[in-house]
Formats: sequence, C-alpha cells, structure tokens
Amino acid sequence: MRICLTVNGKKQELDSTPGDTLLHLLRRIGYKGVKKGCESGDCGACAVLLDGRVVNSCLVLAAKADGHCVTTVEGLAGQEKTGELHPVQEAFLEQGAVQCGYCSPGMMIAAVDLLAHNPNPTDQEIKEGISGNLCRCTGYVKQIEAIRIAAKKMRKSADV
Amino acid sequence: MCEQRKQEFTIVGRSERKVDGIALVTGKPKFVTDIDLSNMLYVKILHSPYAHARITEINTSRAESLPGVMCVLSSKNTPSTRYTTAGQGYPEPSPYDTRMFDTKVRFVGDRVAAVAAETEEIALQALKEIEVHYEELPPVLSVDAATALETAIIHDEKDASGIFDPARNISAKIDINVGDVTQGFAESDFIVETTCETQYAQHTPIEPHVVLSYLDEDGRLVLRTSTQVPFHVRRIVSYVLGIPLHRIRVIKPRIGGSFGVKQEVLLEDLAGLVTLRTDRPALIELTRQEEFVSTRTRHPMRIRVKLGAKRNGVLHAIEMEALSNTGAYGSHSLTVLSNVGSKTLPLYNKAKNVRFSGKAVYTNLPVAGAYRGYGATQGYYSLEVAMDELAGQLGLDPIELRRRNHIRCGESSPIFEEIGEGREGVAQTINSCELERCLEIGAKRIGWAKKRGSRTRNGSWVHGLGMSIHMQGSGIAQVDMGAATIKMNEDGSFNLLVGATDLGTGSDTILGQIAAEVLGVPLSKVIVYSSDTDFTPFDVGAYASSTTYVSGTAVKRAAEEVRGQIVEVAAAMLESDITSLAIKDEQVISIDGRSVTLAEACQRAMYQADQFQIGAMASCVQDQSPPPFMSSFAEVAVDTETGFVKIVDYVAVVDCGTVINPKMAQGQIEGALVNGIGYALSEVMLFSPTGRVQNATLFDYKILGALDIPPIDITLLDSYEPTGPMGAKSIAEIGINGPIPTIANAIYDAVGVRLTKTPFTPERVLSAIRSHST
Amino acid sequence: MALSNLREYVRPDGLDMALSLVKEKGRSARVIGGGIDLVRSSSPDIETLVDLSQLSLSYVRQTDKGIAIGATTTLTEIVEAPVLNNYLQGVVVEMLRQVGAPSLRNLASMGGTLASAHPWSDVITLFVALGAQVTLYNGVTRMVPLSDLYASRALLSPAIITEALLPAYAHGTAAAFMKFSRTKFDIAILNCACLISTQNGDCESVRLTAGGTPQLAALLPEVAEVLLGRKLSQTSIGQAAEMARETTLVRNDLRASGNYRRELVYAGVKRCLTCVSTHLSGASQ
Repeated sequence: MRICLTVNGKKQELDSTPGDTLLHLLRRIGYKGVKKGCESGDCGACAVLLDGRVVNSCLVLAAKADGHCVTTVEGLAGQEKTGELHPVQEAFLEQGAVQCGYCSPGMMIAAVDLLAHNPNPTDQEIKEGISGNLCRCTGYVKQIEAIRIAAKKMRKSADV
Repeated sequence: MCEQRKQEFTIVGRSERKVDGIALVTGKPKFVTDIDLSNMLYVKILHSPYAHARITEINTSRAESLPGVMCVLSSKNTPSTRYTTAGQGYPEPSPYDTRMFDTKVRFVGDRVAAVAAETEEIALQALKEIEVHYEELPPVLSVDAATALETAIIHDEKDASGIFDPARNISAKIDINVGDVTQGFAESDFIVETTCETQYAQHTPIEPHVVLSYLDEDGRLVLRTSTQVPFHVRRIVSYVLGIPLHRIRVIKPRIGGSFGVKQEVLLEDLAGLVTLRTDRPALIELTRQEEFVSTRTRHPMRIRVKLGAKRNGVLHAIEMEALSNTGAYGSHSLTVLSNVGSKTLPLYNKAKNVRFSGKAVYTNLPVAGAYRGYGATQGYYSLEVAMDELAGQLGLDPIELRRRNHIRCGESSPIFEEIGEGREGVAQTINSCELERCLEIGAKRIGWAKKRGSRTRNGSWVHGLGMSIHMQGSGIAQVDMGAATIKMNEDGSFNLLVGATDLGTGSDTILGQIAAEVLGVPLSKVIVYSSDTDFTPFDVGAYASSTTYVSGTAVKRAAEEVRGQIVEVAAAMLESDITSLAIKDEQVISIDGRSVTLAEACQRAMYQADQFQIGAMASCVQDQSPPPFMSSFAEVAVDTETGFVKIVDYVAVVDCGTVINPKMAQGQIEGALVNGIGYALSEVMLFSPTGRVQNATLFDYKILGALDIPPIDITLLDSYEPTGPMGAKSIAEIGINGPIPTIANAIYDAVGVRLTKTPFTPERVLSAIRSHST
Repeated sequence: MALSNLREYVRPDGLDMALSLVKEKGRSARVIGGGIDLVRSSSPDIETLVDLSQLSLSYVRQTDKGIAIGATTTLTEIVEAPVLNNYLQGVVVEMLRQVGAPSLRNLASMGGTLASAHPWSDVITLFVALGAQVTLYNGVTRMVPLSDLYASRALLSPAIITEALLPAYAHGTAAAFMKFSRTKFDIAILNCACLISTQNGDCESVRLTAGGTPQLAALLPEVAEVLLGRKLSQTSIGQAAEMARETTLVRNDLRASGNYRRELVYAGVKRCLTCVSTHLSGASQ
C-alpha cells in the first residue's frame, strides 16, 4: 500500500504494508535517529512527534500515520543550513545529558512536546513529561536539568 | 603523608562538550544498525526451551529448503572449539566451557541453532522448521541444588578446561587467609555475623546486543559491533572460527550502553561465520526478550560476613564467604568472585586476621557475567550491613566505626597482594584517599547528626538514615594495557587514535581533553578516533574502571612525546634551546617572547626541512590500581502500612582523584546510583519452576524512570592520585555499590528491620516489618 | 513483527460502514483506537483494522447528564480538557496522569482503553467507581453502565463503543483514586477508587472499587455497606478498610502475592476514604 507522510516538513509518498510500524518505516527510509529499544512501548527510544505530540513509533502502524505529520530528532535542528540546534538539543549537549545517546532522540522529542504545551514546567512536570523514556546511563538528573534550562531559554526567546 | 599536588589545568577540569555530542543529539547514523548494506542477511537464533537437556537429534533440512534461507547453523556444521565468551585479557581467567553450538543445552535461552535468511520473517519462519529432539535432564535451579550431594552435572563434557570441579558444579573457588581468623574472633570483644543475598538482575542497556558483519573489498571479515572489548572480540572470534586474526577487523561505532553485558562475545562469532559461509553481510539484532533471556546478568550471591572487633571499635577479624551463582556458563565466574573480596576488604585494613573464601557454582539458569561493580556491589551489601550492626553492638555511631577502621593514605592492605584477577594480586600502597572528608561532608549534607535515629513520622511513613563507604579500583594492575597514537596535521590539529572503548561514558572526550591539555590546544583541535582494530592501537577495552587511569596515561605519554617533537622542530625554527620553549595556546613560545604556531611547526616538519611525521605511540600498563573512594548516605521514608520505601534524599561524596570533566564524572555517579537504587528496590528476574525467565520485557522487569529518582546530591572531592594522568583515578563503577547497603541501613534506622535479601520490594519490607513486630 | 497477517487498514467515514466491516469479518477484524494493544499483541489472527478516526468521535463535552468523552479521544486530550479540572475534585485528571506516560497517553483512546479491559486499568477502576456509562452502537445506540460491559462481554460482539459518560454529581459528592505500582511508569499492583455522596454528613451512596487484584476492577459492596448511613470518621474508615482487606478477592501473580494485595486494599481503601473525607469537609466549610 502507498501512504503519504510528512516527515520533518517534507511530504513523501511511501511504500508500506498494513502491518508495518512507523518505527520500521522511518528507519527504512533513512531516519536512523529513531531508535529501537524494545518494540513494545516500554522504553521510549523510538519516540517521534505525530502531529506535534510524542508517541512511541513502535506502537503506531504506518497506516495510522497516513496523511499525518511526523517529526523525528533529525527534524529538530533548524532546517536552514545554519546548523543551529534546537534549544533542547543545545541544553542536552551543554548539560552532559547525553551519555551513550541511544535514548537521547526519544527523550528530546518528549521534551519538545512537553515544552510546546507547558513552557514553564515544574521539575515534577518535567519528570512526568519524560516518564516513558528510559535511560540507563544518566540517572535522569542531567536530562531534567537540561530540559529546565531549555525551557528558560525558549521562554526568553519567546518574550523578545 | 599524602601530597596534594594542585596543578593548574586549562582543558582538564572543564565540562567540555562530548566530542561526539552534536552527532548524537542530531540523530546522525552512528550506531551499528544505522548503516544500510545491500544484500544483507538477517540472522535469528533458536533458543533452548529447556533448562537442561541433551540434543539427541537435530534436523535442519526443512528449514534449509525454505525459499530465502541461506544458511542454517547448528552443532552439526560449526566449530566445536571450547572457549569463553568473557572478553578478558589473554589467557582469560574464565573456564573454556562454551561451544558455538553444543549438543547439550544448559539454560532456557541457550543457543540451539541459527538461521540466516533474506528477511527477518523468513528467518523466524525457518526457526520453526528446525526439528530438535531433546532428552531432558534434571535441571539444577538454585545454588543449593547445585552443591547438593546428589545433583546433575551441568558441565560433563570432556573437552572443557579451566573448570575448578565440574563433577560438583563448581566453576571457580577461592580461599585466602591473612593471619588467623579463628584466633582473631577468639580475641575479639564483639562479634557480628550477617548473611545477605542478591538477586538475578539485568543490565538492560537501551540498545540490545547487535552486530553487523561483512567482507571488505579484500575479503577480510569486518565486524561492526556493539561491544566493550573490540580487541578481545577479534582474538576470540579468530580462535573460535579458526581463521587468522589478521583476516578480521572489529569496529565499535557508538554503542547504546553496556554496563558489562557487552564485555562478552555473544554474537560476533555467529555473524562472522554466516558472512564467511555466504559471502554476504549479516545482521544479528537481539530483541529485548532475547536480551533478557540469553545475554548476561549480574551474579546472584549469598555472602556471609563475620566481623570481630575490639572494645575500642577497631576491627580485629573479618571473615567473608561468598556463594556465587554463575548460571550455565562460567563467564567471569572466578574474577567476579575474587572482586567480592579484593574490592571490599582492603577498605578495613586495620583487621589483622582476614579470611575470604568462596565458590562460584553452575546452575541451569541464565549466565551471569560482568556487571558494573563486578562483585564489589554484592560484597558491600553484606559487609556494610554487618558494619552497621557492629556499630549498634558497640554503641558507636556508624560513621565513627568507619573512621576508626578505614584505610588511609600511605597505608596498605595485604589483600591487594593476595587477591588479583584470577591470579595473585599486586601489593600497593594508597597514594590518595579522602575518605575522612567524604564522611564529614556526606554527614553534613544529609543532616546525619540531627536526623539519624529520630524516626520522624508522617502518617504511616517513618523516616530513617543510613550510610556506607566504598572503594573500587582503577583498572587491573599489571594486566590491563592501553595504547594511544597521536599524529599531527599541518593545521596544528591532531589525530588521537585509541583502542579504548567509549561506551557512552565520554571516554573519547576525556582522553581528548588529556591530549589537548598536554599539547596546548583546544579540544576541537584533537580529532578522536577509537576502537577500530585496524586503525587504533591495542587496548583491553572498557572494563574494570580502567579507561581514564590506564588508557588516559597512555594518551598523556603519547602527547608528551609529540609535544617533545614539536618543541624540537620549533627550536630549530626559532634557533633557540628546547629548554627555553613552552607550548601554550597553539603556539611554541620562547622565553624571549618569539613564537611559532603549531601549524607552522608541523608545516616545516612535513614540507620544508628535516621532514618527518610528528607523531608517537605510547602504551601504559600500571603497577597499581588506585581505588576511588565514596561515602554514600540516604534518607528514606518507609510506609509501615504498605512497605513502600521512598528515597527522600541521596548524598554521595566521591574521591576520584582529579576530575577530568566534572559534568561527565557527575553523570557517571548519578547513573550508577540510579541503577543501584533500581537494583536495591525493584529489579529482579523471576523464574518459572522450569527455569524460564518470566518477566523478560521492560514492561515486567522494571528499571527506574525519571519519576522514580530521588534528589541526588553529589560532591566530587578535589584530590590527586600521583600515579594517574593529571592526578585522576576511576569513577565508572563505584557509585553502583552504594545504594543497597545504604538503603538497607536506612530502613533499619527507620523501622528496626534488617533486610537481607534484595530487592527490597514493598511486599518484602512489609513482611519483615510485620514479622519483626510480632 | 507486528500483525504479520494484517491485510487491510480501513478508515470508514460512517459508523454503519465501520459496524458492517466488523460484522462481516468477525474476529479477524478489530476496531482500532490508538492501536497500542493491537500492535503489542502481534496477533496473527487479525486481518482487518477498522480505524474510527474519521468519525468525529474525539471530544470531551459537558452535557446536562455529565461529561461525555468520545471514543477516539486520546487520554492526553482528556487530561488537558479544562472541563475535567473541576469534576469531582479533578480526580480523573489525577488518575490519568498516573497512566503510562505521555508517549502512550497520546495514542491510547477512551474507547480502546475501555474495550481492552486490562485488569490493571486505572481508568476502569475509577470509571466503574464513578458509575460511568458507555454508549454502544450495533445498529442502534444504547447506553449501559460500564460495569455491565465487563459483566457481559457479549455486549460488544458486535458493537462499537462510541462514547463514555461520566455522570454529573451534585454538591456533597467526592471521589478519590489510589494506585500502587513498583515504579511510577508501571501498571498497578493494585488500584482502588471511591465515590461517596453524603446527606447531612452521612454517606448516602458509596461506590468503592479495587482493580489489578490482579483481576479487573470490581465493586466492593460489602465495604460500601459498612459506610452507608454513617459519617466518615477514623473509626468508620478503619472498619471499611478492614472489611476491604477481608472481603476483596485477590490472587498471586508475578507482581505481588494475594496476601500482600490484601494489605494494599486495606491501605488503598483507607487512603481513598480519608481523601474523600477531607474533600467533603473542605467543601462543607
């Protein structure tokens, strides 16, 4: 079957099968930043934004995403060739929130959803926001800090 | 006694961004499966459904005839060489008790056969077509069953080697005596004895094991694999498959966590053989389920500790006896067992009489292996709980008891010499130890004096405080070797090539920082490339907390040699004496103020005069393994109605020598603590009566999430290890040892109950509280 | 491989078309809300999926009967619906924030949650306590109490859940929910909920549930009985909790033993009732 997907702002017509998951489809067409950790929705490594909301792409059938917009970690940074990182990426890098980096794409995607809907989250809300994203390296401390810092930065730039 | 050599650094000591950070946060294809190879085969493994059985017949012809199946492997068509999957230095101290495919299976999940096919679906379909006849054998499903008089023998094969006593299911054994413990206890005024038991637990890196193999244009086998030990992978695969080592190249790209579970050669032999047989790339990617069932776990242990102390609170005798469950194979069985004693007992070096004994026994349960902490984690549980009890008996504050007994700078312990890694150890004197400050600062930050023993109540919740102290090591003395190559480019940048293996820990970055510091350049001028057996010099790999200390020293030496070469070239350019020159800010500067840039120096060496490549390779093997130290404190609240334990605050104070990169060092401790808290409170592999893992998913096996973490307060002490690079020691493992005894002792402070079995699930805690109060 | 035998994915634009597909294909067809359970199940029996997303069933509205939630509304949309903040002291929002994680709540739908009927479901435990109703469509529309749906699954074959209704309650009614789990991102070892209406301080109607026992949520009528006509006091709450410990049906599973669940029922009922008591005394002041 053919499905139509807008990935990181780019509309594409793709070959798929009814049982295909969004995770497999995205990786197959080159979005390798979408990671596979459990394929059962328990780890969050495969998280992407579906119409702006974080979902585990391993639990979404590609057919269900037909006609919708997907954002992967590759789509977070500026589209122009400025190489400018998203404030969440910048903060993850700066705060040492990335260790092995395998959970980072999903974790940052969850953070982007959180901050889009709650620009000034409490620490508890940050933790809730990434509660479905497991990380075995960092102990979450630096990731929570990074999201707090990114939120502040984003609020500032929204003010000006 | 111990010098504090404060040194000023420019790059070292700064929280530099990870050198691979931008690629990681932008999702660049850095991991094993992030590249697409055409014509790739998918390999799936058939795992044993039985805990203990002989394969009487295996028929693969139906599977082989399935369209799309390219290769079926089993005991019938694979090498029968016995080896160990443990990625350790050669000769490995682990027994050679494993075959690629054996005619006997020893745990549910053991390898039976494998299929390589055009698609994953075909491979899975073909697995169903393999007919296997099993003759079931009595399964041995506990350490007690394994050591019983009448028991099935798990390793009855004739061609295994290095097993201590196969007929009694003993994989490894150890017995160390210092002084005379019997007399020591007789002379002691106070004696306590504690036995604690730890559970089966899994590392759960978020990236499961994965390997991609292919032949390069010259027909050499390339293994792109998620491993901690690329050089050991190359050696072991060469041995198992019987192909020359020089025909193999192992590349470790970025990997998604490991924690010890990838210090094993679990898939590379298989992928390699498929590629050699079919001339095609082969991918093996374990599912989460397979990760739980068929990879490695922490060694579950039962450890008895007996302490004898004089009235003044000084330990006089220590006895420690460990019974370790190594599962179906003896990977790391001896060395993890050794570390139970060697990484704990030197901490209390005042005791004149020490005995450490133990066995690692086989069972028909999943295979244990290396796991962050490596035996010390298990040992500290019993030891530090016993210390807490002793403090109670003596009427001493637990901190004071530690103060009277812990090792100090300038001191030694006979244990260092007695226990090594599968052989005798190496005598060493402690050159850096800030335990006293660790205790003082930790006590202050947790509010020890005010809160401990107060049993503050809040409804059904009761608060309590606990503490423990720890040491680990920094590499394996006189065993671990790391090497580094540095070559210079004409823009004044450097390639740093290291065999060392960055597991996500950030070792590429800190090794780069060490080089940049010596070479007087910003980190951006050091291009770090690591873990490629064709292009980087040898390194044992990332384990035993060795990289900063061992590989870091190799990097420092190589950088110093390169710096010497640069200075010589600059001396010729400036027509001055090398002693009057210094390197700083990408320049060689003479005392009279004249300078040349590093780029100019390299350009001269490359193109203009006395031409040569500025570059050097250096190696390092250390004569000691200086321990990092840590004090660990927790405030817990225990719900006396439900048994839930909440960590209210966690404080850790760590002496790791010079901190090369503060944020990364904190991250090591935070990650290890949270892993340790999960291990203490919730993580446990459960087994059916037939030995099958019942909770082999992240849905059923719970590791901590962001909502579960307590406030964590970490202090990294300013300290200096004279034998380490820039004064550094290790930091990777020590953190994980803290939570179990600290939390156990805090629960005791809160509700007066000693928990002697991990994990401290609410159900277990409640039942202990109930049986205590009746 | 998820759903290896799936052949078609249909998005009907009318309820009748959806229903006729389900009727025609029988067990090989499934209605999909978020699809989480279907993908996780990897069931080889499923050949057709009927996606309800084109049926305009995503809404949370205040009606004169209560709060109506459309079947395809995601749990996130429910959490974020302003109208639920003041419904029974915000208990629905509080419960939903403990269900899964955002990445799951953004997919999971109201209808899917009720149809999947996971025994540990926090939603069902609370909704049964709240006396929720569900609207089913099998050619005709009818509304039944949610608890009836689980008493007789035949109600769903074939029928499509189109809406859930949380009844409106008068002043003097309060609810509470309590979940026990090993880690926060985990299903309940046990959950419980209660809804109490009072008249002059006396309990006039009481609904208590416990779920994840490990069976699906069930009402605890014996416990309710203890409280009827009485005031919520430390004594009555204690007696009710004791009754819950004695009478709730519990079993062992991987997560906990039955005996331990008994203790959790005790603590959970006690805490829910204490919470309700606080709400009610707060409201009366």
